[in-house]
Amino acid sequence: MSNPHKTKSDLPRWGMVIDLDRCVGCHTCEVVCKIENDVPLGIWRSWVKEIEKGTYPDVIRAFRPTLCNHCENPICVKVCPVNAAWQREDGIVMLDPHLCVGCRYCMSACPYEVRYVHPTKGMIDKCDFCSTRVDAGLQPSCVEACPSSARIFGDLNDSKSEVAKLIATKAASTLKPEIGTAPRVYYIGLDVATLEIKREVKLIWEK
Amino acid sequence: MGKVVFDVQYQTTLAFLISYYFYCTGLSAGSFMISTLSYGFGLEKFKPASKMGVVVAVLLLLLAPQFLLMQVGWPIKSVWNHFVYFNPLSSMSYGAFLLMLYPMNSVVYGIFMFQGNLKMTKIFGLIGIPLALAVHGYTGWILALGVARDYWNTGLMPIVFLFSAMVSGISMMILLVMARDRFFTKEKVINHELIDSLAKLLGWLLVVDLFLVFCDYSVLLYSKLEAQEVAHFMLFGKMSFWFVIVENLIGKVIPMCIVFIPGMRKSYFWLVLAAVMNMIGILVMRIVTVYGGQALPLM
Repeated sequence: MSNPHKTKSDLPRWGMVIDLDRCVGCHTCEVVCKIENDVPLGIWRSWVKEIEKGTYPDVIRAFRPTLCNHCENPICVKVCPVNAAWQREDGIVMLDPHLCVGCRYCMSACPYEVRYVHPTKGMIDKCDFCSTRVDAGLQPSCVEACPSSARIFGDLNDSKSEVAKLIATKAASTLKPEIGTAPRVYYIGLDVATLEIKREVKLIWEK
Repeated sequence: MGKVVFDVQYQTTLAFLISYYFYCTGLSAGSFMISTLSYGFGLEKFKPASKMGVVVAVLLLLLAPQFLLMQVGWPIKSVWNHFVYFNPLSSMSYGAFLLMLYPMNSVVYGIFMFQGNLKMTKIFGLIGIPLALAVHGYTGWILALGVARDYWNTGLMPIVFLFSAMVSGISMMILLVMARDRFFTKEKVINHELIDSLAKLLGWLLVVDLFLVFCDYSVLLYSKLEAQEVAHFMLFGKMSFWFVIVENLIGKVIPMCIVFIPGMRKSYFWLVLAAVMNMIGILVMRIVTVYGGQALPLM
């Protein structure tokens, strides 16, 4: 079977599947990410967007864990003027703190708004799939901590891996596929209500 | 449809300092254009403004990068890294080189102009024009290539930036030439022919600028939801006072009317008012474009 995510190199292509049918919205991934990566107060590398919809008694609370999508064609890597944003052979989009000058161009160009200015370092920071843990053969901390195994991490090039099997057999979607960034974070059971932007503007031809 | 219980939204990334940077490079590019009209293209009537134009262009281009250095997290590292770690895909990468080359060329051009070496002045003036276009056009590209934002991501953005640069540069030159002639010359007489030509040029450039704004918004209002939203945000939402009233009415339409009505154009009071209003309008345009373009959340 041909694998659409096969990269040129024989290295693994790391990706994540988030099964929203399993997510219970406990925010553990958020907390453990902060501990693992020493993320200061007020900013998040990964968080769980939470919405309520419906009218009683037909209601649901829907969740969407959010993190850097580690796009196959990352806009941030293209726009970075000093090559601080770069993509590893295994697809993880990294940020080199030795090069980053904190110009924030990548922040304003990222369609997923997952980057932030680190308040003390003065440079940009974001999720890196816990690259040091991955290099050591471990899972990213959010995956390991998830109590309901909603986050699954693995090699998309390996058709026997759990992530590849889930993408092949379930209705998996990515965020904003129309931009052409080809995200490598997949969602199963994505609720369209969690994708809705908080509307601040009412169109004049809207009822 | 749903009610958001918890979500994270980040701060506005590029804000006022970047707007001031765009404004200063715009003024610089505009005044450089005026100075090359006589020495580069042989339009003799603009000659009295040439020397002032190049001096102002250099001074503003020295001021402009200071705003950038204040904006970035690591100013000194950024100067070094921009030259050493060049990324050919990033428009901002080219900016560092343009911001070096353009003032250097302008200084050489200015020196030859003050020495009276017409041939060399013409050569460096003509080299300077593409550089001036690039140094301001690239700022438009920076925004246009921020593909996440619908307000920025349009091919018109560099052209809109160039026209607003020329417009604001001419307004500034009108004010400076009037002030120089009135207060710093022996005759204390304003060169009416020059001011009149500059005012007419300003009027026609304002017509093009307004047409570009109309093109941009007519497409945004027909485009996808995010684009419609940002257009509504500008036209009817929180930004409407600044965009509609200050930028377009006070900054462009009223000055255009003033310079196209011959009686008003002849009056220095109205002309100064038009130039001041236009300069304020273009400054607001920079802030509206940079800040307003990213004010709405993406996710």
